Amino acid sequence: MAFLIRTIDFTAAGREIIRDRVVEQTRLTVGRAVENDIHLPDLAVEQRHVGIDLAADGTLKVAALGTLGFGLDGRVVTEGVIDPRTGGEVALGAARLAVTREGNGNIAITIRQVVADEGKMDALRGFALASKLPSKRAMSWVFASAIILLLLALPVASHLLRTPAKPDPTGKTPGTVLMDSAWTSGELSLKHHDLADNCESCHVAAFESVQDETCLSCHKDIGDHATKPRLAKGMAPLSDGDALQWKIAQGFGKEGPLGCVACHSEHEGPVRTQAGSEAFCGDCHKDLDARLTDTALANAHDFGKTHPQFRPLYFASFGAAKPVRAAAGTKPVERSGLVFPHDVHMNPRGGAARMAVSLAQYRAPLECKDCHAATPDRVTFKEVEMEQACEGCHSLVSGRTAGGALSKLRHGSVKNLAEDLARISTGPRPRLAPGRQRPGQLGSASPYRADFGRPVRAYIGTSNALSTGGVCTECHLPTTGPTGQADLMPVNFPERFLTSGYFSHAAHTKQKCTDCHAADTSKAASDLLMPDLKSCRDCHLGASAVKTAKIVPSDCAMCHAYHVPAGQWQGLKPPKGPAPHYKPAPPPKTTVAAKVAQARP
Amino acid sequence: MASQAKTGGTGRFSQDERRRDSDHVSFLKHKGFRWLWIALAISGASIAGYLLIDQEPRPNGGTWYGYTLGTIGFGLILWLSLLGVRKRRINPGAWSLKAWTSAHVYLGLALAVVGTLHTGFQIGWNVHTLAYVLMLLVIITGIYGVIVYATLPASLSANRKEMTRAQMLDALTAIDRQLESAAQPLARAEADLVIAALGQDVFYGGALARLTGSYPGCKTARALRGMGGATEAEARVTALLEKRREQLAQIRGALRIRALLEIWLFIHIPLTIALIAALTAHVISVFYYW
Repeated sequence: MAFLIRTIDFTAAGREIIRDRVVEQTRLTVGRAVENDIHLPDLAVEQRHVGIDLAADGTLKVAALGTLGFGLDGRVVTEGVIDPRTGGEVALGAARLAVTREGNGNIAITIRQVVADEGKMDALRGFALASKLPSKRAMSWVFASAIILLLLALPVASHLLRTPAKPDPTGKTPGTVLMDSAWTSGELSLKHHDLADNCESCHVAAFESVQDETCLSCHKDIGDHATKPRLAKGMAPLSDGDALQWKIAQGFGKEGPLGCVACHSEHEGPVRTQAGSEAFCGDCHKDLDARLTDTALANAHDFGKTHPQFRPLYFASFGAAKPVRAAAGTKPVERSGLVFPHDVHMNPRGGAARMAVSLAQYRAPLECKDCHAATPDRVTFKEVEMEQACEGCHSLVSGRTAGGALSKLRHGSVKNLAEDLARISTGPRPRLAPGRQRPGQLGSASPYRADFGRPVRAYIGTSNALSTGGVCTECHLPTTGPTGQADLMPVNFPERFLTSGYFSHAAHTKQKCTDCHAADTSKAASDLLMPDLKSCRDCHLGASAVKTAKIVPSDCAMCHAYHVPAGQWQGLKPPKGPAPHYKPAPPPKTTVAAKVAQARP
Repeated sequence: MASQAKTGGTGRFSQDERRRDSDHVSFLKHKGFRWLWIALAISGASIAGYLLIDQEPRPNGGTWYGYTLGTIGFGLILWLSLLGVRKRRINPGAWSLKAWTSAHVYLGLALAVVGTLHTGFQIGWNVHTLAYVLMLLVIITGIYGVIVYATLPASLSANRKEMTRAQMLDALTAIDRQLESAAQPLARAEADLVIAALGQDVFYGGALARLTGSYPGCKTARALRGMGGATEAEARVTALLEKRREQLAQIRGALRIRALLEIWLFIHIPLTIALIAALTAHVISVFYYW
């Protein structure tokens, strides 16, 4: 076996010169010194650098002769083995010695000079991930500009250049500012949900907090808790922290603690504004008279402890034009114009009960609901109608019609009564005798006089009915009209008795009527059967009371609203789920407000 | 002298020892976890305030406490993003880069608490939540970065087997030269396989290939599959191709570890800039539509 040493050089012109020589030995030395078998004139190579030994198994042992290593297949080592069948490459300075096996079994060592690889450091950059990804700087620019353009510049520009859209609570008019939906800080409340696409309805001017004026442009009819100056005067002094906060907020254009948005915080999700707590009301009302010295309102803060006595509305004199409010703690005498002893009607063993039992429509002693019908929402009661409630017993039947049915007097006006009574003695009557009549029989005993003469009988009938002991005075008080004619006292009841709070009968169905209204012992219609504060407190105590089977902790909002104190506080409970106290929707705020304004003396 | 160093002498040697000791303390443990404790204090105070202060009608970024947390968070974000500026300023002064990095990591974690409380847990499809999500992504990639910086460098040097990157490439070049001459006797089809393998860039493959270490289009692997072992030349080329594949595997192992080490910065940095943009839009929009 021999080594074939092949040297490849290049001339200046680039032509390749190949020199082959065969060395018949099993050991080769490589180095800079000329006595080496392979002489490499390169300063980076040692004088005697590497020894190559042919082992018995045909492999080559390559070992450094000094301390300096050499490159073997790219790796720097001081010794190594090359199997000529697969080959190997030894690097010494700029020379590369490629070892291969020739077909005849000789081992060829091809020596080639390589030029220094100047691109090597560039190639190393390929190891960095940056070579495969867009640059961080470029990505930063793209992301940041996209966000600034789309989410800031576009809405601001379109807000500055727009024709403002009108507020539209029906939700049909979208806003004209582009992309401002991305600015919303949360869903709007249930009541404002339709404004979600029209941010400018509320956010009118840039960098300006939502103004009361804007709220009131839709909520024109909202009741005022009190006028602003009185609110400000009656308001409890702010704590130092709150005062500082409001000072800062007002410095930035907020409208202060009496502005709409101070309580009506929006973008809190699809909910309704929660009612103020007892503490919220108590802040001002627990010592209101200290600040608002001329107020008619008594202090209140805890229903169980501090709450003024009820002052129901009632008619203090017969036929009065307007009701008045009872003075606190008095026992008012109601002049409704009716005669009605509740006790007689409610006595289960009395005459009224016996009569009711005998009548098909009752078949039992009278109960409250036989006369007092609840309104459809079961919050309060309809007016008592004579025809429905009373006529079963207090009959107004006056005779029979031609068809044989019962005729009756109409209820409700004295004029109708007079007409109905006049008709009783007229109208077709059966003849007294068959056959012909003799002439001249138009005397006082004949029907002619009754038919064509003065209606004396009708006058008497009307007079009898209206005077004491007559059919009308069973329930009504007799009086005389402006011209001295017989008349009845008009019946007067206020539409609501308690006008400064809200009460639902539907929420109290577990109670008997007489638990609160002392009707079973009331002997006269002049008793005002409204319950007093004490009877409410049997069950209702302040918000801080402990809830038991009997005691209901009650905050102010259970009976009072803020904007319209007589109305129910909207959104007191979430719309879902049972809320027996508040379930029936109250009449529209504006109507109640108007009615209360009318009803108040 | 060593005992003097331990007892804290004032000599040159003990000073140097202290410096050397501190040089080898991880930025995570800097000054006895000083910034960890500060971050925990900030987080604890924020959570306590959130729980104790009753905001009507509900916690919200627009309450006074919300504004306070928001201002702290805003300041933190701007300061944290300044690490990139700080590390490029190699000038003397009382601002240790290690202390700064330590604070960056721990205050960044505290920012997650402050920012989350600032939201009042009100999340939606809007610029505010965009800023919050970007902030979380930046923090999460940062946490990933700390973890890989602590764990991966060891496997990176294990993979090197005492070779530099340049040597890895040299080794491949050496194998390639041998392949070139060994392939001379091959037939056309086999020669084409070798040409394809030699022609493929050593850094072939995208970022995903680097991260997973999966190179389905590797021409060297394909050449190996297509190379028969019938002739001696083919056997030799196969042996060389196997060497090439092993060398490539080592390079690709280094690439994978390096990619895992570096990938988070490609999210962390651009998203930080995007976050600052979103934060600007968030703050301006809130007061624009106040």
